[in-house]
Amino acid sequence: MKLSPKLAAKFDKLQSSYPVKRSALIPMLMYGQDELGSVTDELIAEIGQRLGLNNVQVEETLAFYSMLHRKPIGKHHVQVCTNVACMLRGGAELLEHAKKRLEIGHKEVTKDGVFSLEEVECIGACTGAPAIQVNYDFYENLSPLKLDRLIEDLDKGKRTEPQGVISGALHERAKLETPLISKRWGIKDSHKIDVALQHGAYQALDKALKQMTPESIIDEVKKSSLRGRGGAGFPTGLKWSFVPKDSPKPKYVICNADESEPGTCKDRPLMEMDPHQLIEGITIAGRAINAHDGYIYIRGEYRYVLDIVEAAIADAYERGYLGKNILGSGFDFDLLIHTGAGAYECGEESALMESLEGKRGNPRIKPPFPAVVGLYGCPTIINNVETLSAIPSIILEGGEAYANRGTPKNGGTRLLCVSGHVNKPGIYEIPLGMNMKKFIDEMAGGMRNGKKLKAVIPGGSSCPVFKADEIDIAMDYDTVAKAGSMLGSGGMVVIDEDTCMVDMARRIMHFYAHESCGWCIPCREGTSWLKKMLDRFHAGLGRPEDIDLIAELSKNMLGRTFCPLGDAAAMPTISIVQKFRNEFEDHLQGRCAYNKSAEALIGSR
Amino acid sequence: MAETKLVHLKIDDRDVEVPPGTLVIEATRRLGIEVPSFCYYPGLTLQAACRMCLIEVEKAPKLQTACTQVVAEGMVVRTNTEQVRNARKFMLEFLLSNHPLDCPVCDKGGECELQDMVFRYGADTSRFVEEKIHRPEEKWSDLVYYDAPRCILCFRCVRVCDEGMDVKALGVGMRGANSIIIPNREDHLECEECGMCIDICPVGALTSGTYRYKTRPWEMQYVSTICTHCSNGCKTTLSVRNHEILRANNRDLSGINKEFLCVKGRFGFDFTKHPERLKQPLLRKGDKLFPVSWEEAAQAAAAKLKELHMAYGGEAIGFIGSNRASNEENYLLQRLARATFGTNNIDHHRTADYTGLVTALGERAADSSLTMEQLYQSKAVLVIGNDPSNQNPLVGWQIRAGIRHNAAKLFLVNSQEIKLERKATQFVQVAEGQEAAVVRWLATGEGQLAVGVSEKLAALKSALEAEPEVAIVFGSELTGKAIEDVVAFGSKLPGKVRYMALGDYANSRGAADMGVLPDRLPGYAYLDNKAVADSLAKHWGAQVPTKPGMTAPEMIEAAQSGKLKALYVVGANPFAHFGKSGGGRGNLGLLIVHEMFLTETAQMADIVFPAASAYEKDGSVTNTAGEIQLLHKAAEVMGARSDFDLLRIVSHQLERAGVGKAFHFKTPAAVFEEIRKTVPGYNVQAAGLLTGGAEPTKIEFAKNGHAPYEVPLHLIRPANDNLFTSGTLGRFCTMMQTLPEAEAKP
Repeated sequence: MKLSPKLAAKFDKLQSSYPVKRSALIPMLMYGQDELGSVTDELIAEIGQRLGLNNVQVEETLAFYSMLHRKPIGKHHVQVCTNVACMLRGGAELLEHAKKRLEIGHKEVTKDGVFSLEEVECIGACTGAPAIQVNYDFYENLSPLKLDRLIEDLDKGKRTEPQGVISGALHERAKLETPLISKRWGIKDSHKIDVALQHGAYQALDKALKQMTPESIIDEVKKSSLRGRGGAGFPTGLKWSFVPKDSPKPKYVICNADESEPGTCKDRPLMEMDPHQLIEGITIAGRAINAHDGYIYIRGEYRYVLDIVEAAIADAYERGYLGKNILGSGFDFDLLIHTGAGAYECGEESALMESLEGKRGNPRIKPPFPAVVGLYGCPTIINNVETLSAIPSIILEGGEAYANRGTPKNGGTRLLCVSGHVNKPGIYEIPLGMNMKKFIDEMAGGMRNGKKLKAVIPGGSSCPVFKADEIDIAMDYDTVAKAGSMLGSGGMVVIDEDTCMVDMARRIMHFYAHESCGWCIPCREGTSWLKKMLDRFHAGLGRPEDIDLIAELSKNMLGRTFCPLGDAAAMPTISIVQKFRNEFEDHLQGRCAYNKSAEALIGSR
Repeated sequence: MAETKLVHLKIDDRDVEVPPGTLVIEATRRLGIEVPSFCYYPGLTLQAACRMCLIEVEKAPKLQTACTQVVAEGMVVRTNTEQVRNARKFMLEFLLSNHPLDCPVCDKGGECELQDMVFRYGADTSRFVEEKIHRPEEKWSDLVYYDAPRCILCFRCVRVCDEGMDVKALGVGMRGANSIIIPNREDHLECEECGMCIDICPVGALTSGTYRYKTRPWEMQYVSTICTHCSNGCKTTLSVRNHEILRANNRDLSGINKEFLCVKGRFGFDFTKHPERLKQPLLRKGDKLFPVSWEEAAQAAAAKLKELHMAYGGEAIGFIGSNRASNEENYLLQRLARATFGTNNIDHHRTADYTGLVTALGERAADSSLTMEQLYQSKAVLVIGNDPSNQNPLVGWQIRAGIRHNAAKLFLVNSQEIKLERKATQFVQVAEGQEAAVVRWLATGEGQLAVGVSEKLAALKSALEAEPEVAIVFGSELTGKAIEDVVAFGSKLPGKVRYMALGDYANSRGAADMGVLPDRLPGYAYLDNKAVADSLAKHWGAQVPTKPGMTAPEMIEAAQSGKLKALYVVGANPFAHFGKSGGGRGNLGLLIVHEMFLTETAQMADIVFPAASAYEKDGSVTNTAGEIQLLHKAAEVMGARSDFDLLRIVSHQLERAGVGKAFHFKTPAAVFEEIRKTVPGYNVQAAGLLTGGAEPTKIEFAKNGHAPYEVPLHLIRPANDNLFTSGTLGRFCTMMQTLPEAEAKP
């Protein structure tokens, strides 16, 4: 196959970038598709030949990722997010509007091949909901009118300037905020190395390399009581200490930038406004476990962010913050950013490693855990963007000082992205332990349009929901857990009184059914069944026994699936049925007080 | 070796001790406790995907998968609590939610693991009222069909194709509930067509093109016998209805091959009912063959044999035995030649130099043979020549399994980049025909090799020197002197070395072992080995001739030149392989042939007896590794008779005509009793054989001061059969002939 010189060069580079060639598969497919409009047979053959893979190995891998298309998509691929945060702000209506405007349906292409449309899952623009992506460009805070204008422009060949920094990240610093990892946000060109350096970047790396030993770095992180910001909240220092010191194998650091938990959009600004803080954090982590290679696995949708980080990595190499003999310390560290291709499951650490190895994003059997057997079968630590971004601060101010910013066992600050029916959706950095109610009322500006609060998803759609009267609690991992939910990934979705919770449960389950990798029976079949049942129920065709069945099927998934995705689907569903049973009962009566088409519920399907 | 300390645990209040590293699911099986599973499959990688094997482990916060949980000292496991029973029940409920409940018309009905599990562990009602995901069934090849809705995504097929076969023709497409299995050529398969995927499928998702919708499993009888194609001797269980073979597999995992079968073993049985199958004796009248009665054919054979024997003596009569006939049949044939006609003019089409191997090993022959199991267990395997995955599929499978399970190292010397190369620790490519020079160099350091080869061989040699055990497997590239060299090389290695010569055809080893050789008696004994000759003479009531006879090529040449007057051919086609091409039968006064089909040789015959195939008779065969196994009659083809029967009939007619003694054996088993007494190495335990096992022969060989063994050039002629050919049988396997992959093969 004849590749363009640019693509050929890209492929050549990718081929030699990884210890195992197959790792280049997904990036090659993505970059190849960008140029060809789809994954063609010729592209598959070309990549297969370059990577020594047969047809089926390429096909089965690409089939897993929702951003890879075997059939041509439009020149402008319009992707409308209808997941919870966008749903609450008119995402579904926006999709309907786009269908009418473009005269095509979900996954269809206009006859002239200019536009294609796809309903997509959370794209990480929750604080700018409703949002869409056209190819890799983000457009946020859309209305049908704005969408029309955008489409018209695109039709004329005019590209509307896409959203740069995610909406909601830059706001007047609220009184209660304690900017630490977000401290360089808002500074002009903060992603550029000179600006970052002016504002303190790489000082922690210098300290870690010159004044600290790997053991003392881990100790400091342990002291900070930093816990994973990706969702599970595992103590970071402890995780690092599991890496065997005597292993003769190479060790790896992976930064999990596959941010895709619905309602979560905090890693995006961290990377677009302060990539050097992340690079610094990753390099320090590498030093701590004596790794010499790091990877940032970033979700495919964040291409413009990837470009920013890639440029930052190049600058860091140039200035000697990456590469050989960093800052004259004798420590070598290489870092590569790697694109995903659309799969929530790849946010699960072992699935991410499979994906990084160029395979389907199925999770792995644990134990062994990644710290012992991780990427390429070697000891690996994998941490979230926010977790690693906190490392420089911990090194600089010391673990204890960092810990003291939060509550016991819940050290430091964290980013909360609040979306939904609040006046000021946005990304806020708060000390752990802040009161949830206070946060919503004061920092997020309280409820929009004076509506009453109905429910809160505290940390991404996997978390059980809180009712309005359950949120007067401290936001730290342990308190929220005690209250029956999770702080999760910090994606808080605030839901007002006009929202149908049956619809909410339905939409949440659609997401998990879409994202289930299909590996294990309970998740694969359970999410699919529940999705169908909630669709039917929401359309007014429910049976009285369905209410308990929804809860029971969810419980039958809970704790029995291969990975936590099944739990993630089950937990919110169980809580919604339990806490908003009355709304389910209303639906049985053909009533949905919140649904605009409520009168026509029965038989509306 | 230090004794490994066993791990003690409690399962359902019963104590069990197992080796460390054992999986809980295996420990439960040891106690006879069933923990259901779909994706767990011994020998393949762990998946923990089906979640059927969830069990309670004390102190674990939630249910654990027994298939991934490793035993620990003092562990307490419960497999039958309410929580576990519920987990199973609801797992099956999930599984059935998208599974069509069409068991009455499903091809797998009655032998479906899902059906069995729902019967045992499932709920009695269905709560699923939504629409199921449906997709149309796909035909992937003439042999493999895929019905996605029935697929439960246990990934056994994908794993066996990748890990077991190293073919990687199957993958998983889509994701979530839409996940499906995909073939390597978008909408069809291009592969080895081994059918392992069908065999291993627990449900009716993958079905066999030759079997599907023909019958129900409970309408069939199951007969385990030995595959009649290559020399590896896989056990195959034939599913038979009304004397007709409908399916072949080895689902009970017994035998040397466990579940393994290649395309020939699994699908190559339709020759049995090929329309050209001979079902009546044929007698030449003028230039044509006419069907005649059994009496007429048998009497004509005896009369003519007697006439030519009287006129020209035994020296003018030749016998060619069969690579496919059983040990008993080959034994009787050489007894007919030696005892009745007093000639050593007996040979067969040799495809490997077993004589050379036994002779080279000498006194060590008995304990230097390499069984298929030992090949799997070997930590180091050296393969010289041949293409095992193509020509000796079980050998290839065993080697791959050894690499996977035991971290075995594979060393290859070959002129081609054969498939096994992908798995090789070291591959030394040599020019075609240089294999003998390689072993010469390995044994003596002598000889001129191509640039760079000796360096690679030196590395190979030092790697093998570090191994405590080495298996050496070689093809027909090595014969006679070269085998002496390879044995000399092996003898110098510090580790225990075992050898396997790779021949073609199901009983080529057996034919050689039975003394269907002009210069050796049964058990490769030299003609002047008095002990063996005396023992034979005692059983036969006749002296054993001492003058070496003609080889098979010599016999055909002698027939064409008029020196040989009569030729008796059993299950072979020598005129297609030997002699002057187009030379015909020459001046033969009599050509008798036992055959299933009118081959080139049978067409020239005076008398053709319709022969039964291996699937239609009892007896024993010996695979290329020297393992004896029993054939069991599965099918019946009206008119055809086993070579055992045919030889008995002819011997009786001869006795009646005053030539020799009739064979008074009622069954092949009775012949085997004689073989146990007369053939060195065949005095094996009958119990193992009778229970379906394989018993390795232990050839006791005496050199008796003979000169070094030399094998004439071109006497050993490999059949060069591949996965889709099988000599004469292959030509009449319609299924195999029509596969596109078969045409693509050279």
